[in-house]
Amino acid sequence: MIKKYISDEYKIKKEGNVLSYAVPVADIVQVCNDLYFKHKLQLKLITALDDRENTGQFKIFYVFGISPENIFLLPYISLKDEEEFPSITKLIHEASSYERKIYTFFGLRPKDHPHMTQILLHENWPDKVFPLRKDFKYQTRPDYVDGVYESQKVEGEGVYEIPVGPVHAGIIEPGHFRFSVAGEKILLLKPRLGYKHKGIEKLFEVLPISDKVRLSERVSGDTSFTHSMAFCQSIEMLADIDVTERVKYLRVIFSELERLANHLNDIGFIMLDTGYSFGGSNCARLREVIMQWNERLTNSRFLRGVNMIGGIQKDIPIKLCHELLLTLKKIKHDFNEIIAVSQSSSSVINRLSGTGNVAKQVAVDHGLIGISGRSIGIKHDARIEYPYAAYNKLNFDMALEEKGDVLARWSVRIKEVSTSISILEQAILEMPSDNNILHNKNNFALRSNSYSIGIAEGWRGDIVYFVATDSKGEIARVDVRDPSFINWTILEHSVNEDIIPDFPLINKSFNLSYSGNDL
Amino acid sequence: MSVLLWLIQLILIPLLSPLCIGIVRKIKAKFQNRTGASVLQPYRDLWKLFQKDEVISKDASWIFKFAPYFIYSITVILGASIPIFSTIFYPNLLSDILVVIYLIALGTFFLALAGMDSGSAFGGFGSSREMTVAALTEGGLMFSILTLAFAAHSTNLFVIAKNISSLSFFSFAPIILAFGAFIITMLSETSRFPFDNPATHLELTMIHEAMILEYSGKRLALIEWAAANKFLIFLSLGANLFFPWGMSLTNCLSDTLLALFLFAVKILILCVFVAVLESSIAKFRFFRLPDLLFTSFILSIISISLII
Repeated sequence: MIKKYISDEYKIKKEGNVLSYAVPVADIVQVCNDLYFKHKLQLKLITALDDRENTGQFKIFYVFGISPENIFLLPYISLKDEEEFPSITKLIHEASSYERKIYTFFGLRPKDHPHMTQILLHENWPDKVFPLRKDFKYQTRPDYVDGVYESQKVEGEGVYEIPVGPVHAGIIEPGHFRFSVAGEKILLLKPRLGYKHKGIEKLFEVLPISDKVRLSERVSGDTSFTHSMAFCQSIEMLADIDVTERVKYLRVIFSELERLANHLNDIGFIMLDTGYSFGGSNCARLREVIMQWNERLTNSRFLRGVNMIGGIQKDIPIKLCHELLLTLKKIKHDFNEIIAVSQSSSSVINRLSGTGNVAKQVAVDHGLIGISGRSIGIKHDARIEYPYAAYNKLNFDMALEEKGDVLARWSVRIKEVSTSISILEQAILEMPSDNNILHNKNNFALRSNSYSIGIAEGWRGDIVYFVATDSKGEIARVDVRDPSFINWTILEHSVNEDIIPDFPLINKSFNLSYSGNDL
Repeated sequence: MSVLLWLIQLILIPLLSPLCIGIVRKIKAKFQNRTGASVLQPYRDLWKLFQKDEVISKDASWIFKFAPYFIYSITVILGASIPIFSTIFYPNLLSDILVVIYLIALGTFFLALAGMDSGSAFGGFGSSREMTVAALTEGGLMFSILTLAFAAHSTNLFVIAKNISSLSFFSFAPIILAFGAFIITMLSETSRFPFDNPATHLELTMIHEAMILEYSGKRLALIEWAAANKFLIFLSLGANLFFPWGMSLTNCLSDTLLALFLFAVKILILCVFVAVLESSIAKFRFFRLPDLLFTSFILSIISISLII
């Protein structure tokens, strides 16, 4: 099977779910091109590794996923004594942000990149200081630089600029949006992020292993569980740990509870942003039911401190299982009723329909994933494509919509609430009663000089963790790819036909993570 | 006695307007499965704001500082010149339709001016939207009350109230039509659904709230109070011009008390109507608002042609 994708001339190293092979720098564009266009593989990540201590080289990895075999191809290039590498952005547009991130944090310049500026780090960060290089110590406090932020300008009669944020009126994360408008119509939107950059990827290299799991829970607060699950899976892959069946089911249950809570929240907030308070407050009530169940099951409303490498720390007793099933039944009933009332309100549907349209081709080129992708017919769902935990034993369909407007993103969430409840019901009933939820080997060792990919479908979209170890089996690099990192790039393309008063609604329909993007 | 009545007429609107806002909020909360704050909360909010310090942008001119007092005084004057519970005040020169409607417009004008004055992007937004909506609202408002003027053969609001209450039942069809038109303009003028969301925190979607975003402390309190007054003024106009029964025609005490009671009932019904409306529909897209306002205008025209 693999022969199909990789030419014979490359030497393949297979470890866990990863097939890595070195590719000469000159060939990488062609290799990526073939995998992406000819074999239609998904580009999951491009990341770099400072391996100068061992081999004197920087390495750049291109992660392609093969579904449903759940295998990842990692062609990589090595850069010795040079700081430039060929950019693949001109052909594969979604590579753009990854390459800019590599430039910003490693100082490796993608040659012929059409839009080469740094991202995430602001103008007050000094040039030539690259925080993810190994010779940058994580406590370093770089000098303050007086840079000026230049955003793209639109000129013309009656055109003016509105700066919004980074501090907003609601309790939300910081991000700056600069609109150029003519009257109410949006001509151009330039989001500026990075206000929540806190050096998470660097911290992953520094903290002791037990704290790394806790750190992954804090990448994006509303996705604590799925983030830590993706991270744990990647480490378990490196340590050859097989978790027990019960753990797999428990992970499904917690991860779906997280999805359920967040989807209910978003469905409600989208309605609230149109001013439809009936739907807003009722969905908020249902979400709170889930949050309280989370607390009851795990002592944490956001399911923190639950995952651990090789197992899970909180079990669900039989008695609670039955009670949870009853609650789910009640939620399903109430939710269907609320949605039926809301969907029959023409004023709500009128606000949602046709607002925040994304063109299909633009979405495909930007590699849109998760609920935003599924709302325009891009069929990606890691639960189905890269079945992890116990998802391959459960029965469910991918929620899809075609239109790509706010209504479609709202409807995908509504469908996913139903699938989540169904998955939860199946998982609770089918969960094996084996009591072992912890891995029996307390001391585990990671393979040295190895790589692994952890993937899990968070409620926004797939979360990818790339972990690399050094020659001593220590973690040398963790790359966190939150779905928001990809999906933020589409926001400015979704407001082109819209007016300013509809922007909050459009933004809410994506509800992307600032923290997960800024890292 | 008439001095007492005058006093009541003068303070009734500013006294009761925060309560109206409180009642609407309370009913809305009930619709959302919430307990909601006490109906007296708007009074506490005003009291709190009056105690607070103010922050005024250094770019703001005298208009910004002066506008809240002006807008508030206008609503008090308006409150004193409309029929509330008694028709005995009719020789009041300010009670002419044109005076009342254009005093309202004057308040809106100064509010829009103040919104732009501080130089923030949102204030300008709010003002631009408010003027767009206000210009389209004026026609519907003017003509819906003009219908009554034609029916009552007078442009004095007190005389209108008196004459409409003596009309025969069958001549009420055009007046109901005009009431529909009036309700639409009322929702627009008082920044309620589906025109504006008084409860939103989304600065990009606001109309009225965007204009007053820069205000704080006492001036904010005055503006909020003025907005509440305006709300009650419109409710009173709706209740007492279109359904003027029960207003006292003399200055006798029992009549007055009955009239006050009936006024309270009518206002309460309208508050419930606004709260139910706000709980059951979503805010309209901004560019759909003109359609609604044109509907109001056309309703008024039809009712006028029915009367003439």
